Amino acid sequence: MRNGGENRGRLLLVMLIVSSLFLITLDLRGVSVISGLRSATHTALSPFQRAGNAALSPVKNFLGEVTNLGRTRNQIEDLRKQNQKLRERLILRKNQDGEITQLKSILDLAGTARFQIVSAKVIAQGSSLAFTRTITIDAGTASGIKKNMTVISGSGLVGVVKEVFASSAIVMLATDPEFKVGVRISGTQQIGILAGQGSSSANLQLLDNQTMIKIGDVLLARGSTNGEPFVPGVPVGLVTSVSNAAGAVTQSATVKYFANFGALGVVSVVVKAPDADPRDALTPAKPVPTPVPTVTVFVTPNPVASPSITGN
Amino acid sequence: MFLKQFGATSSIFILFFIVQESLINQLTFLAGGFSIFLILTLLWASLSTPEAAAASGFGAGLLLDLSPSTSGPLGHWTLILVLMSYAIAFFSDGADNTRGNPLSLIFMVVLAQVIVLISYLVTGFLLGITATSFVQTLTTVIGSAIWTLVITPLLLPPVLWLHDLTLDSRARI
Repeated sequence: MRNGGENRGRLLLVMLIVSSLFLITLDLRGVSVISGLRSATHTALSPFQRAGNAALSPVKNFLGEVTNLGRTRNQIEDLRKQNQKLRERLILRKNQDGEITQLKSILDLAGTARFQIVSAKVIAQGSSLAFTRTITIDAGTASGIKKNMTVISGSGLVGVVKEVFASSAIVMLATDPEFKVGVRISGTQQIGILAGQGSSSANLQLLDNQTMIKIGDVLLARGSTNGEPFVPGVPVGLVTSVSNAAGAVTQSATVKYFANFGALGVVSVVVKAPDADPRDALTPAKPVPTPVPTVTVFVTPNPVASPSITGN
Repeated sequence: MFLKQFGATSSIFILFFIVQESLINQLTFLAGGFSIFLILTLLWASLSTPEAAAASGFGAGLLLDLSPSTSGPLGHWTLILVLMSYAIAFFSDGADNTRGNPLSLIFMVVLAQVIVLISYLVTGFLLGITATSFVQTLTTVIGSAIWTLVITPLLLPPVLWLHDLTLDSRARI
């Protein structure tokens, strides 16, 4: 009996092995039914696989992170370094763009006045704790710069060269309390002396008590003998307030400098003044006031009377 | 009775097959990972008579052959699992110290798993399936054995329970 059972078992085994070999043969011969079966299984399994993928996504991401922990950390470090380099490059680029803009406006100003200039970068600022307002530029005697030369920016007067070295120079800014410059009012040609106050505004003292100044007047440098320390015609500032103190011999006013002393990147030293005084040619154009749009509404009375409601 | 058992066994195998294909295969495990379907097949065979084991091996092999992730010809897994299931059942049939001892069962399954993989590689090579490098193959086989050693104790209780539930007393331990 046992022998019969073993024979049946062996027969079943042989049958199954033969079936397997038969299937292998069919598949290797390329019977289309076999590939159809696989594609049907794939179709049936697809929804389960999609659901499984959606359910396991967080786990997969976590496992991926754990597996690639070292690699990810290195990548983050590399990207940080790259980001830092790009930031530095961007700052440099912005700085260069600003310098180009400043240089262009200086060239426009110097070109109009026919000044011969040497442009230089501001490499340092003097400490305000020393109660002076100075900057250091990267051009000196080697570039033809001498003491008492006028220093300008694209907006106007910046200061005067105070000390010169071989490849650098110290410029006293117009905001320095010791700074004084002879100015004239564009148009009326009234003259006065402008003195720095340690801030972005300066004090103007007119020399003639017969003349009047008003808010909005533009001041230009009057110029010195041989153009040193000041070349003529350089825009200096704008009158922002006028003082009419009783008993004062002459009028005085507060002037706001055109130059932005807080953002000096590139300045130019006027190494040769023009043969002819540019007079008022460098006077900056007055800002055009922005028109305020107004709306006018015309109301025409309606001749047709509104329908009245009558009750029955 | 036979149809009922066949239906229940098929359902269990199909369920494990779906879990394997839709969940386990989605994850990337270290050193190749494991196959709960293969573990189930081998565990089931070790608990069954040789004839039943060969039949369940045939069904399981057929399912594995139909898996989209299988690259071999249809019948390849079937052939190997028929032979291995019959063999594992033949050796453990009547040996109470094997079936009654979970550790023996676990180590038998691990050993069978290694033999199955090596057989699959060898026969695959004969059938013209392109094999990976030797180191890669070795890593997968060893890794799979270790994973199986870890997973089988976890799968053993539910598989024992399902086997008891499905088959009649003659086929039980």
